[in-house]
Amino acid sequence: MSNFVEVNQVDKTFDLSGGGSYIALKGIDLNIRRGEFISLIGHSGCGKSTLLNIIAGLDHASEGVVLVDDTPVTKPGPDRMVVFQNYSLLPWLTVRENIAMAVNKVLTGLPKAERNEIIEQHIDIVGLRAAADKKPGQLSGGMKQRVSIARAFAIKPKVLLLDEPFGALDALTRGGLQERLIQICEENQVTAVMVTHDIDEALLLSDRIVMLTNGPSSKIGQILDVDIPRPRKRLEVVEHPSYYSLRSEMIYFLNQQKRVKKLRSQKNTVVARHGLEKVNIQLGFVPLTACAPLAIAKEKGLFAKHGLDEVSLVRESSWRGIVDGISGGYIDAAQMPSGMPAWMTLGGNNDSPLPIVTALTMARNGNAITLKEEFYQQNVRTLDDFHKFIVDTPDKQHNFGMVHPSSMHNLLLRYWLAAGGIDPDKDVHLMTIPPAQMVVDLKAGTIDGYCVGEPWNYRAAKEGKGFTIASDLGIWNGHPGKVLGVREDWAAAYPNTHVALVKALLEACEYCADPQNVDEIRQLLSQREYLGMKAEYITLADPLNDNGVHDPHQEFAHPQFFGQGVNRPSRTEQLWIITQMARWGITPFPRNWVEVLERVCRMGTFSTASRELGIDVDYSRSQIELFDGVKFNTEDPIGYLNSLPIKRSISVAEVILDHAKV
Amino acid sequence: MARAVNNRYQPNLINRLLSNKKTRKVIAPIIAATFFLIIWQLLTLSPDANLPSPIKVIQQTWELIINPFFDKGANNKGLFWQIWASLQRVIQGFALAAIVGISVGIIVGTSEFLFDALDPIFQVLRTIPPLAWLPISLAAFQQSNPSAIFVIFITSVWPIIINTIAGVQQIPQDYVNVSKVLQLSRKEYFLEVVFPATVPYIFTGLRIGIGLSWLAIVAAEMLIGGVGIGFFIWDAWNAANVSQIIIALLYVGLVGLMLDKLIAFIATKVVPDEKK
Repeated sequence: MSNFVEVNQVDKTFDLSGGGSYIALKGIDLNIRRGEFISLIGHSGCGKSTLLNIIAGLDHASEGVVLVDDTPVTKPGPDRMVVFQNYSLLPWLTVRENIAMAVNKVLTGLPKAERNEIIEQHIDIVGLRAAADKKPGQLSGGMKQRVSIARAFAIKPKVLLLDEPFGALDALTRGGLQERLIQICEENQVTAVMVTHDIDEALLLSDRIVMLTNGPSSKIGQILDVDIPRPRKRLEVVEHPSYYSLRSEMIYFLNQQKRVKKLRSQKNTVVARHGLEKVNIQLGFVPLTACAPLAIAKEKGLFAKHGLDEVSLVRESSWRGIVDGISGGYIDAAQMPSGMPAWMTLGGNNDSPLPIVTALTMARNGNAITLKEEFYQQNVRTLDDFHKFIVDTPDKQHNFGMVHPSSMHNLLLRYWLAAGGIDPDKDVHLMTIPPAQMVVDLKAGTIDGYCVGEPWNYRAAKEGKGFTIASDLGIWNGHPGKVLGVREDWAAAYPNTHVALVKALLEACEYCADPQNVDEIRQLLSQREYLGMKAEYITLADPLNDNGVHDPHQEFAHPQFFGQGVNRPSRTEQLWIITQMARWGITPFPRNWVEVLERVCRMGTFSTASRELGIDVDYSRSQIELFDGVKFNTEDPIGYLNSLPIKRSISVAEVILDHAKV
Repeated sequence: MARAVNNRYQPNLINRLLSNKKTRKVIAPIIAATFFLIIWQLLTLSPDANLPSPIKVIQQTWELIINPFFDKGANNKGLFWQIWASLQRVIQGFALAAIVGISVGIIVGTSEFLFDALDPIFQVLRTIPPLAWLPISLAAFQQSNPSAIFVIFITSVWPIIINTIAGVQQIPQDYVNVSKVLQLSRKEYFLEVVFPATVPYIFTGLRIGIGLSWLAIVAAEMLIGGVGIGFFIWDAWNAANVSQIIIALLYVGLVGLMLDKLIAFIATKVVPDEKK
């Protein structure tokens, strides 16, 4: 479909009274199709109303052009009617006169009788027959906005522009009016652009939601497609499977904008002390059982012991927050899923390769695959049962949650499904959901299962909502789970700090692995600043003492924090990860994979840290073999890929990495 | 004991009227006026007082009070005619001021350039006392009646202009946006948006203006002569008839109040509810 409204490279600069200028909008590009409903959302002052006014012609772009139906916008006109936040009714005219004024001025080509008919018809559409002869002063806010909407619709604009139309109304009135507006919009197939603060309102009404970043120089941060079918009803929309993931996407975006704003206002100084280049470190983590080493290092003073006396832990609710924090430079280091350093290095994040290095594997295992309890009732016990179940129910779509494309959960879940003959892209549908959201989505029925780190598997089982069909022991015992990741340029700039960080965390890992400390760690993790849940949900079983009991409702993951060869970053494992990501088309397979592995795995930093702590480093390499018995050939990863039956088309490409700034 | 309680619950008529909000509005001023008259009477009891006592005022002007419509030619007319003559001048001058003031105000208010250019001039001119205009207008018109009307005009036009300008400048951006989006012509914009939106401000200006013109007419007529309440007062002063002055002042006050209330009443009929 052709573009009906085109916003091309629009900039808006305001001159300030002090003589400077303020760039409100920068490089806005937006194409709107005929009949599409678009919402503009963003924090106050992000320029969304300015953009709307530019489309309306009430304001002028400093650069760029807006085309409506191939005509450049130069001045306001009735083809782009605006519904203003404060209604903008003329108080000396009655409801009918207000609508009539617009109709009589705009639809001048029609005979009077026809115009009157349009006026009366629109009074009825918004249900204001009884108030038609009242003046705005006698109407409630909701009624006034209805008049304003009727006035706008009555003149049949090409584009309807709504500037926070329901912002000043109470929640109840707002709900009713939103419903009315979707109905009118759907019946009339209007093209509309709405500015709003209200996430739910945007989801209810829009086909696409355009999210603007914070000013100055606001730009389009992200555009969300709302794939909820029409006609929509307010109460039904919330039950659609996409609703909550779209909603959390928006909340994430808005929160991120808030944080970036806060960060901009902070001074980012580097504090050097104790012979370390930087002792003030923002260390990111996602609340999972595997974050135990970070919590212990902080609470037991291990960071301070190694000279890092200004470490603050930054809790992110999703891995995406970690990605944005590291690439945006406002998190120094983070606990990452083991595939994330390679994924970011290979350009998984917006196709812009950003070299990330890891010098420590903080946890192995700790993951499991959970299916919903109903499947257990239908006698799904093993992978083969599940395969059969899927083959038997071809008309049903099964949705699965995983936490991030680069996480071991995604790769293990896909590997597990594929090993059972289930194509993870064709036979089921995989969705990215933050860890803490999994159980909620399972309960809501939007997903049928997930692969995630503890405590979210055990918790679903404890709450009777799911069961563990496969744990880490049964897929790949000892697989890398979480690693420490920093940017390559950060590692180059602060080498001693990096070593100190690895030392502190390595000692914390050792502490976590001691069975005597299990209860203390569970208590610690249950606190608000970490997992914030009852300690009984948090489990730490020793994988070396497998007691042989594998009850799918009691099974939990077996995190491994310390031991022979546990903490060393492993190129073999990274190669397996890169190969798997290429298998599923997540990132291309790098022709220069030897260089990539060399740069991602910082063996030297790990060795130095271990030596200084007096810990022997185990350099032995072992073959990777998963539960299905297929051997991973480290000498010929491309041959291995080609031998796999279920895979996407694999692209092999040279990944050009910037040289680290030293 | 029982009797005392009884007494307390049987208030007399005055108390009962005063405890009712509506009747208090009428009764309280009457009490205050009576009180004031008594003091006045007491202060002017002595035979060699300079001013007459209230009773004496009424005795001496009884003819004027009971017979406001007599007309014995020239200046010798009843109080009604005197006031009517003054009112006619005020109506003419004020009507002129309203027409000129509102139009100038709307035009100047919509143009930033005109506002910047003219506002300082308005601010200087409006501080000139009404009577100071009289010699100029006499010089210009050579006749007393048009001069008096001009003084009324020039006195009341400034508050009307200034308030109208303020009103135009206060027009909510929303109304402007609506008219831009609907592409109203300049004429439609003035007549259908600017003027109605400015009406509340215009009426504020009109109320101030009518008050000032009534103030000015009395002073102007004292100097000009002829029929009119101003000259009537001056004439009484020359005749050393203080009682007539006092009764004329009372009438001037009452008419001024009525003019103010009249404009306020029209405003309630014209100004939209939301703006009041």
